[in-house]
Amino acid sequence: MVFDAGTGKLACPSCRTQIDIGEPDGRHEPEPKSGTDGTVAYHCDNCGADLMALPETAATICAFCGAGVVIADRVAGELSPHYVIPFAISKEEAVKAFRKWCRNGLLTPRGFLTADRINSITGIYVPFWLYDLNSRVKVRAACTKVRTYKRGDYLYTETHYYDVYRELDLHYVKVPVDASAKMDDAFMDRLEPYRYDGLKAFKPAYLAGFLAEKYQFGDDELLDRARDKIRGFIESAISSSFSGYATVTRVSETIDTRNMKSHYALLPVWLIVYDYHDFKHNFAMNGQTGKIVGKPPLSKAKIAAWFGGIAAGTLLVMKTLSWALGGGFL
Amino acid sequence: MSAKKGMAAACLMSAALGLLLVFAHPAAAETGRAKPLVYDYADLLSDGEESALRSLAAELGAERETDFLIITLDGTGGVDIQDYVARFYDDEAPGYDRRHGNAAMLAIDLEERDLFLAGFGKAETWLDDGRLNKIRDRITPLLSEGEYYKAFEKYLKLAHDYMGYRPGVNPDNILFKAWFQIAVSLAVAAVAVSVMAASSGGRITVNARTYLDEKRSGVVDRSDRFTHKTVTRTKIEKSSSGGGGGFGGGGGVTPGGRSFSSSRGKF
Repeated sequence: MVFDAGTGKLACPSCRTQIDIGEPDGRHEPEPKSGTDGTVAYHCDNCGADLMALPETAATICAFCGAGVVIADRVAGELSPHYVIPFAISKEEAVKAFRKWCRNGLLTPRGFLTADRINSITGIYVPFWLYDLNSRVKVRAACTKVRTYKRGDYLYTETHYYDVYRELDLHYVKVPVDASAKMDDAFMDRLEPYRYDGLKAFKPAYLAGFLAEKYQFGDDELLDRARDKIRGFIESAISSSFSGYATVTRVSETIDTRNMKSHYALLPVWLIVYDYHDFKHNFAMNGQTGKIVGKPPLSKAKIAAWFGGIAAGTLLVMKTLSWALGGGFL
Repeated sequence: MSAKKGMAAACLMSAALGLLLVFAHPAAAETGRAKPLVYDYADLLSDGEESALRSLAAELGAERETDFLIITLDGTGGVDIQDYVARFYDDEAPGYDRRHGNAAMLAIDLEERDLFLAGFGKAETWLDDGRLNKIRDRITPLLSEGEYYKAFEKYLKLAHDYMGYRPGVNPDNILFKAWFQIAVSLAVAAVAVSVMAASSGGRITVNARTYLDEKRSGVVDRSDRFTHKTVTRTKIEKSSSGGGGGFGGGGGVTPGGRSFSSSRGKF
């Protein structure tokens, strides 16, 4: 049985049976056998094969029969996720969307656009902490307002000085930080935003047919990353609270960000490995929204062409402007 | 657009622009007409310098359809330099297009250390008082140092250059400078391409409001206490065309009834 992104149900590819995830299933979970290096052996429910799973693996696919295997004790108890956003994009849709995205690259080499070398595409539930943060911000600043006016032969500049104080109470809800050691942080950050209306209460059945990891960092360990992520947002909230002043010189500033609540969630990501010129290029797709991030190769020729074209075009505009203003065209 | 085609197009465009720039300043066909143009009464120039200035004046003047004249004097015979120049125009009747036609004149008098610039005909509007003042400001230091040849050469080039701009426009506007135009083009292209390269791997699409709970967030306490004020005043410069310290210009009319623009000063 695997989770079907289209219907949101468990589906059997051979007999087409569909099971609603909301219904309880009567199956009992297999008992784990411990290995020596943290890997653990599991029984595949489907074919009975012994599977080795890395310590962080929470769900995998049986290498022998292809059935989805959820390692129950890695998503239970303390490790039980609060939420999951199920995949909304199926593997076929993901491949199609990725090909389309490749063709739209303005700076990617021609060969890359037409090449059809998806090495592998893997659906993985990545562990995230979703932080509810409350920031108390206190800022004191010396501000000025400037007014100029003419009187007689003189131009007067009148500067009013203010002692300004602002206290902001900012609530940020479900700021996501990935808790996987393997995933590139910058990659995961750029996959945002996820639409939280798709958040569901966690059920292990959602993981069937996909890979999943359990969190490898606790919410305390990643709180600083969450704080960093909202730092820029707080900054823009502060500056907008000082609007109306000509200059703002901050005298003192305290930002106290507290973690009000953190939720453990599994969010869907398609990982795509693409072969091009003997290199493997990694891409990630938001399994809910379809947003793609990655580092496509850049073509020097295309960069040069764009640079030359834009430069020549701008020069033409500048020349025309100069001519229109009464200067020479050249 | 394919990479190669794009490259080729870019090369072609740059080449075309380059060619245009080259042909912008054609080594104008030498006008065979032997106009004196340089009247070195004070004998400040060598024969070589005089003929070099004469051919430069002829060449640049042809492009602007204006005679560029240079007069050096060692005493005007008691006449004010402005009257001298006005009378000179009436008597000698210079002009590119006709007698008493388009002409720009530079006159210096070593005795009084007077410098006088005037524009007649087309040059009255295309080299108005303001532009003549600009030219005078830039050549006065050279004249004071006795670098007469360099000063006259600069006068010819500036007069030619300024007449390339429509009257009423500030010819020193940075927008007209080729280096500025090229710098802006390169900067725009560099920024655009960097943005394209940076966003090729997916843009950041979260902003300050993505995770903000706007209902509960906001300013909870504020105070804006006025402390003091300061007032500074600056005198508004009267920007008349005659400005430039001491002597101004402001144009005039010759005894023969021909009007001109002018700028005068000491060196």
